[in-house]
Amino acid sequence: MKGLSVLLQKEWREHIRNYKVLWIPIVFIVFGILEPVTNHFLPEIMKSVGNLPEGADFTWPEFKGEEIFVSLLGQYQLIGVLVIILAFMGTISGERKNGTATLLYVRPVSFRYYFLSKWIVVNGIVLGSVWLGFMAAWYYIDALYNHVNALPVLGFIATYSIWLIFVVTVVLALSAWLPTGGAAGLAILVTLVYQVIDSLIGAYWSVSPWKLSMYASYWFNPDSELSDLWMSLCLTVILIAILVLFGIFMSRRNAAKTTV
Amino acid sequence: MKFMAELANIPWNLILPIIVLQLILMTIALIDVIRHQRTNGPFIMWIFIIVFVNLIGPILYFVFGRRQV
Repeated sequence: MKGLSVLLQKEWREHIRNYKVLWIPIVFIVFGILEPVTNHFLPEIMKSVGNLPEGADFTWPEFKGEEIFVSLLGQYQLIGVLVIILAFMGTISGERKNGTATLLYVRPVSFRYYFLSKWIVVNGIVLGSVWLGFMAAWYYIDALYNHVNALPVLGFIATYSIWLIFVVTVVLALSAWLPTGGAAGLAILVTLVYQVIDSLIGAYWSVSPWKLSMYASYWFNPDSELSDLWMSLCLTVILIAILVLFGIFMSRRNAAKTTV
Repeated sequence: MKFMAELANIPWNLILPIIVLQLILMTIALIDVIRHQRTNGPFIMWIFIIVFVNLIGPILYFVFGRRQV
């Protein structure tokens, strides 16, 4: 266990030095604040910059707080996941390329701890950022819209967190397998592009990690069927475990590719 | 005077946190760029991107411009 805690400290220090512990939370918080505020002021914004024809009278949809949460999730699904992929695509492959890995591999560290330390720290940063973002959004939603009950919000955030852990695991496992560019491309393909496919032709199956972000919003709807959600959660957790094993295996196999 | 009235109309208590966070993000990126000066591409270009491209600029710098050492 001592090996793991040393590696955790190393990862944490690295992410402080490259400012990831600072800028990733700020990005998620800014999006979390922007979403409720822009939706709230949409009619006024359109009035002043929208070039609406004279006398045009739109009835703007009255948003409820729950809908703002869902639309914020939509933002995170695109920009947030992209930021996660691009920020962490080189976590292992970049280390191999710039030679940091050489300094590590000559020491008696187990690859299990090596991969797990990265997995834990990256997940910590990502989940912390997204939670902060949702908290900021929650505060604004309470102030600008209506009060949203705590329990659905927590279920919503928890479900989405499992999806985010899945994304992080995909990115890290691919980063252990491929060079940085390939890892980023394949990760975007697996998470973002496949999600579109899953939503287009995915009507035939209901259990899939890519549907978690949709199922998360079921928490706001008291009479929705949650069994698909639980099945998807189980499947996602199993996939995460398999991907972690794959990542450990690949970081061991590719150890020889490090730059000396 | 009309301008001042409009300025007072803006709900600053709602907007201010966003502005402050963006400024923090910009400052971190600028400090980093000036301290290291090792970027992918000319570093003056990155300073302009960080300062003038709102919100996305610092993100772009951290993701693509920052050369990992």
